[in-house]
Amino acid sequence: MNEALVWLAALVALPGVVIISSFLRIGAEPLRRLAVTSAIAMVVASLLVVISPPLRNFSIQTSLLTSMPGGEEVIRVDTLSAALLPFTAGLWLLTVAVTPRASLDRRGMRRTALATLITLASFLTESAVVLLALSLVSVWTFLAALSDPAHRHQRRVVAVYLGVSTLLFAIGVAMLVSPGVQNTTLETVALWCIVVAALMRKGIVPFHAWVPEVFDHGRLGPAILFNAPQVGAYITVVLIVPRASAEMLRIIALLALGTAVYGAALALVQTSARRACGYLFMSQSALVMAGLDCTSVTALAGGLLVWLSAGLAFAGLARCVLVLEARRGRLDLTTYHGGYERMPVLAISFLAMGLACTGFPGTLGFVGQELLVDGAVDMFPVMGFAVVIASALTGLAVLRMYFSLFCGRPEALAHPSLRLGLQPREAWTFVALVTVLIGLGIAPRPLVDSRFDASEEILRLRRERISHQLPGGPSRSPKVHASLVR
Amino acid sequence: MTLGMPSVPLTVLVLIGVGSPTLLLAALGAASMVNRPLPERWTGLLAASSMAVACAALLVAFAVYGITRPGTQLLSYGAWSTSHEGGIAIEFLVDRLSLAFAALSTAIAGVVSAFSSRYLHRESGYNRYFVLLAMFVVGMLLVALAGNVAVLFMGWELVGLSSALLVGFFHERPAAVSNAFRVISVYRISDAALLSAAVLLRHVAGTGSLSLLFGGSAASATTLSATNATFIAVLLIVAVGCKSALLPVSSWLPRAMEGPTPSSAVYYGSLSIHAGCFLLLRAAPLLEQAPAARLLAGVLGATTAVFAGITTRVQSDVKSSLAYASLTQVGLIVVEIAIGWYTIAFIHLAGHACFRLLQFLSAPNVLHDLHGLEEAMRDHSPAGRRTWTILMSDRARHRLFLLALERGFLDSTLDRIVVEPFHRGARLLARVDEWLCGAVLPSRRPAPSDGGDRDE
Repeated sequence: MNEALVWLAALVALPGVVIISSFLRIGAEPLRRLAVTSAIAMVVASLLVVISPPLRNFSIQTSLLTSMPGGEEVIRVDTLSAALLPFTAGLWLLTVAVTPRASLDRRGMRRTALATLITLASFLTESAVVLLALSLVSVWTFLAALSDPAHRHQRRVVAVYLGVSTLLFAIGVAMLVSPGVQNTTLETVALWCIVVAALMRKGIVPFHAWVPEVFDHGRLGPAILFNAPQVGAYITVVLIVPRASAEMLRIIALLALGTAVYGAALALVQTSARRACGYLFMSQSALVMAGLDCTSVTALAGGLLVWLSAGLAFAGLARCVLVLEARRGRLDLTTYHGGYERMPVLAISFLAMGLACTGFPGTLGFVGQELLVDGAVDMFPVMGFAVVIASALTGLAVLRMYFSLFCGRPEALAHPSLRLGLQPREAWTFVALVTVLIGLGIAPRPLVDSRFDASEEILRLRRERISHQLPGGPSRSPKVHASLVR
Repeated sequence: MTLGMPSVPLTVLVLIGVGSPTLLLAALGAASMVNRPLPERWTGLLAASSMAVACAALLVAFAVYGITRPGTQLLSYGAWSTSHEGGIAIEFLVDRLSLAFAALSTAIAGVVSAFSSRYLHRESGYNRYFVLLAMFVVGMLLVALAGNVAVLFMGWELVGLSSALLVGFFHERPAAVSNAFRVISVYRISDAALLSAAVLLRHVAGTGSLSLLFGGSAASATTLSATNATFIAVLLIVAVGCKSALLPVSSWLPRAMEGPTPSSAVYYGSLSIHAGCFLLLRAAPLLEQAPAARLLAGVLGATTAVFAGITTRVQSDVKSSLAYASLTQVGLIVVEIAIGWYTIAFIHLAGHACFRLLQFLSAPNVLHDLHGLEEAMRDHSPAGRRTWTILMSDRARHRLFLLALERGFLDSTLDRIVVEPFHRGARLLARVDEWLCGAVLPSRRPAPSDGGDRDE
């Protein structure tokens, strides 16, 4: 137990070091080097947590923050969260390694490390109160990133949507942790509040309008870091799936499936690369949500896999757009920009990560989407068809972006001496990410098995809670019992 | 269909057959990924030897299968996932048909590979071309040997993506890129139809195993009702129609000729365009349970053959003319499958693939020798009154000529009834999204200027 605590402390300390260093008089480039080193160390340390059974079975329980008998795990590392740790560390590494030099400042590096710390802490708890507190801080961090006058409109849009989301989350959590709320209407109301909060945070239709807006006209870097880890999905898995009725899950899944198709269709007709990224994110994030709300082990495991693959692939794709923007300015998708010959690594990485988003064979996304369809089709056949349509449209949107951004006659350079190629640091980061996505796509067995274990654990918890609720519940018939358990 | 016990020699030979081009793809792909392409000579040598090894292994497998006659075999090579509810297994369904098509694919790819290594000498995308060719061969082998829906879909997608990227091979030309996008758009419909068929199969039969579709056994007859069989078969026909350019989506075929000639030869002359026919052949037992779908396939095949037969006569460039000539034969092969002449259909397929490959590959030489197409047409244009002039009035012939010259106006019709409404609808929804944000704060500040956005 002590060993696990030490590891967790080390994981938390790594972004902490960067945050503290950012207050010292260190230049932006040395601070970046420190952040990259810390992020690499965090990836390695979190991978050790994943492969070491004693480190990934650890929890600290308390009844201080809940009225539930036996308390709750305020800090825990289990099969579900273990895989999310290297995922978070990887996103941090990607962010700090490929941020263009012109965009580098100490405040930004501090915010990035803080966002990573918040995400990490969120994935290490099942306490609704702690999740609420972390959610508040993460929304505040995101709003702080939009504090300059040029982004006032986007700041306000985000404040309205995420403010309402956080408020609903707070109301839901307050009701959920109150004594005597179990098996009452209040618990259902609380769950609905949390559901709507999670849907708003994840940009599910009809609560989605802030996502394309903030991607397009806001700041893409913070938007990626705020959205890619999909903390809303974690809230769904930890707070909603174990407690919600089958009908509630079905409604969420239907909204999510609609969003997956909607986002993919709209991504296909956008004229701005950033806005297309926003809609792609909506579509991918909705697919994850749909998978998580299926009460089938296979579909849930598929959803958990798509969460990791889409998160990494999407973050990489959006980072490619940022890297290109640093060299060319805002990217318009109505023309062909050319440039494949100048930046082949970026072009291939963009294509590979885009294809991983769409679940192309040979990438991790393929296995995730196959499992999602495979598991959901028995009880929810419409999901299979929706995933197929969303995947087809997403694929087209990604290829349209690729053709527009990298094909065609290259634009003339302002000066022949100008070098627009990738820095080795950027190139190797993208190559490493693509290698991970393809490597895990070709040999996904250990990750898939761990997602199956996590999925079985979540559904076991759900079955236990529901069978606990039934005897004390207000005259539930066997039919209702069957539908809930299913 | 009774599945025989997996034979060890076949398992090994098929593994070598599929593994060899897969290793080539991995090696060339990794070199491209890190921007360190191998020297041309090495690339050409690796490609040719990899195809030769694959072809030899699959030919020996075909011979071993013919000698030992072990019956249809499901070869398993592990799984990406297993669970009590299902999983994704790497399985190949091996019989005479699948081995013959796989061997044919590698043989043709080997010829094209040898031809391309000289044809594309000093071309800037030399390595990229061979990466895509290797991807295509792996895709074709997976389609030929697939034992379950996941493997079939993998192959189908690999063929589609490599095809589109090769159409846009000369990516500095805007026309090539926009045509590549058009091609992949149709291919995505094909992918979606195939996957929808798989979803329906899983829903009604509870399995993704293709032995159910391709078997024609008593088990498959009892598991699938006539209605379900018809629905699945129609979805398969949509997938095949898009992949093989049957009507009404034939118009992507001439657009696909933008790629290098060897890739046009292997894709639209010989292999890719026949992948749909092969899938229909495999699914023949399913078609037999679905007479309505069979009729649909027959009608589509026949109308495509007639349309392509007329269109090919008025094309003004050799590659388009050859593409439509290929399509004529593809339509006829589909008709043969719909009628139930499976052996003739396969012989037709294999013969046509080889013959058309030769025609495509020799087209540049023919053009060179005749110093351009006009001269070629002058020297070879038909003389005297032909059947058409006797059967039809001048006005009708003129209209038919226009129809053929404009390739049936298929492109503009599809644009009008599919693409434009989709764009209009999606843009309307996008405007609603923008309005939703505008409602929060009506006065929007201008977007940040180019490159002025500081992102961490």
